[in-house]
Amino acid sequence: MNLLLAEDDALLADALQQQLLNASFKVEWAENGAVAEYLLRRQDFDVAILDLGLPLVDGLTVLKRVREAGRSLPILVLTALDALEHRVAGLRAGADDYLTKPFDFPELEARLHALMRRGRPATQTQQLRRLTLDRAARRASVGGEPLELSPREWTLLDLLLRERDRVVSKLQIVEAWGGEDGAGGGSIEVYIHRLRRKLEGSGLAVRTVRGLGYLLEAMGS
Amino acid sequence: MPAGRSLHRQLLLWLLLPQIVLWVVAAFGAYRLASRHADELADASLLQAARALARQIKPTASGLFVDLPRSAQDILAADPEDRVTYMVSSPPGQLLLGDARLPPPPGTPRLNEPVFFDATLPEAMRVVSLDLHLGAAGAADSTLRVQVARSSAPRELLARRMLLDTALPLSLLIALMSMVVWTGIRRGLRPLAELQQQVEGRRADALDPVQLRAAPPEVGALAGAVNELLGQVQQNLATQRRFISDAAHQLRTPLAGLKGQTELALAATTDPALRQRLQRVHESAQRGARLVSQLLVLARAEPEAVAAQGWASVDCARLVHEVTADWVPRALAAGCDLGVDVADGNASVQGAELLLCEALVNLIDNALRYAGEGATITVRLRRSGDDLWLDVEDDGPGLAPELRERAFERFVRGATTGDGCGLGLAIVREIAERHGGSAQLLSAEPHGCIARLTLPLQA
Repeated sequence: MNLLLAEDDALLADALQQQLLNASFKVEWAENGAVAEYLLRRQDFDVAILDLGLPLVDGLTVLKRVREAGRSLPILVLTALDALEHRVAGLRAGADDYLTKPFDFPELEARLHALMRRGRPATQTQQLRRLTLDRAARRASVGGEPLELSPREWTLLDLLLRERDRVVSKLQIVEAWGGEDGAGGGSIEVYIHRLRRKLEGSGLAVRTVRGLGYLLEAMGS
Repeated sequence: MPAGRSLHRQLLLWLLLPQIVLWVVAAFGAYRLASRHADELADASLLQAARALARQIKPTASGLFVDLPRSAQDILAADPEDRVTYMVSSPPGQLLLGDARLPPPPGTPRLNEPVFFDATLPEAMRVVSLDLHLGAAGAADSTLRVQVARSSAPRELLARRMLLDTALPLSLLIALMSMVVWTGIRRGLRPLAELQQQVEGRRADALDPVQLRAAPPEVGALAGAVNELLGQVQQNLATQRRFISDAAHQLRTPLAGLKGQTELALAATTDPALRQRLQRVHESAQRGARLVSQLLVLARAEPEAVAAQGWASVDCARLVHEVTADWVPRALAAGCDLGVDVADGNASVQGAELLLCEALVNLIDNALRYAGEGATITVRLRRSGDDLWLDVEDDGPGLAPELRERAFERFVRGATTGDGCGLGLAIVREIAERHGGSAQLLSAEPHGCIARLTLPLQA
């Protein structure tokens, strides 16, 4: 995966480069805004990390110009500023996500993956632990054994997997089902219960988050 | 600076007291003058009477002949109120005619010079004594003394009346004058009182300029000076806050680099001793990073910053759902069960959403830090009268009651380990107070802690 890292602080850039390399990204480093803009216009990257406080051309300007040039790659803005107006300005200028320094690398990595997932078409086959989800064929299997899933169960599993490690609210589930609540709020619990039984042995668990919804997590992670 | 007397009182004292004293002195002087003239007039008439009496005394060869007709005697003793009595003696002291009780004049009177004096017989009398030389044919060189006395009572009555006639209008005048002076002072000092009210009544952090309606130049200058000072303080404060915020921002990038580098070094090292040291460096970096973000939040909770963020209606139910959902993965990683319990109905407050969000984040973060692994943490939203209670309850070990208030102080940390910076609850309280609410720690049943944010509900 090709990644552009635009960061002017050498120490941070060095650490990030190494960490990203360890996370199997291919990193190109730009130490100022002008280089970053040039590279983003000329080369194809899967994702970019853009610091807002870049020398020569500041990050927001780079972001605007790159978007104006029709580049649609996911861009994560990294900044030392965190006031709301900066966040809003960044997102308006075309950033896909926003992270303030200092950050935990695993969080940065997770967000990068999420950004790239979002960018890719959803018709992909997804593999997590022993579960395989083939979105094109709307089929799921655990360790090669096909899972018998009703359309609603399939939609539910698809949603939980897309949003894995994040809370999925009941409202989101109802919306994914096409806006109809079926037999009321209680029915979601029935479907969750069934899905849990079917996911036994997959290494995945559906957690109930009190008052909020559900969350799919890989067990023992 | 010693506390001086109030300006009001000083002005009153300096305007009224001397005035009253001067008025009283003047009145007393006027009374004295008037009564002296009255006395002189009375004495003159007494002397006239004495001389008239003396003219009636004619020396004869055999002695003295007093030609005092009955009618004249009647006149002398006419008015019982205005008692008049007389005594003719020759040589002085030897009663010839009249009232023997009249005492002799003090000293040695000279011929033809009247002596006026007061006597008591037993009532108070004014007496004139006139010694005359009788150039008599027979009895040569004999001296005649004529004394006429008149009761002092009418004179005293007159004096009293005069005193009263002076004192009454004077008291009225003083009372009127006091009222005029009092009103004048009040009117004159009103702008000062207004200034005082505005300066006294303001909160410590209210630095907006003092507003005075139609202030006289003296007070206007004072208000101007106060406003200038306020402006300077405000500017200094803003500069200081900007500095804190800038410094914190500048610290973030190197801290991120430090974290990244230590994480890498940790991954690359197998030597346990070195790993331990690196781990400590990493923890330090983590704590520094957290402190920096918290300082920024605190700077953002300052009044001007709050004003800049804008005040709006915030639906706390939505806020609780969003923020808590964000924190669930971290809670799961920490082995805690984080959930939400929100009562239906209005949960809107007026405020800055970002700050309320920050307060809730701090409460959840605190609970995760101190409740320990395996704890159940619930973010609860309840209404209590006109207030909204935002509770974060855990079933951890809780906090001793005597430590609860201290936990809200800045840089007081609940535990000696971990990367808490001791600003979390201080921030929560600051934000709560900025929203007209409060923050407190309570005990949970059977054990644990409830951190409660009380916010006024939007009607």
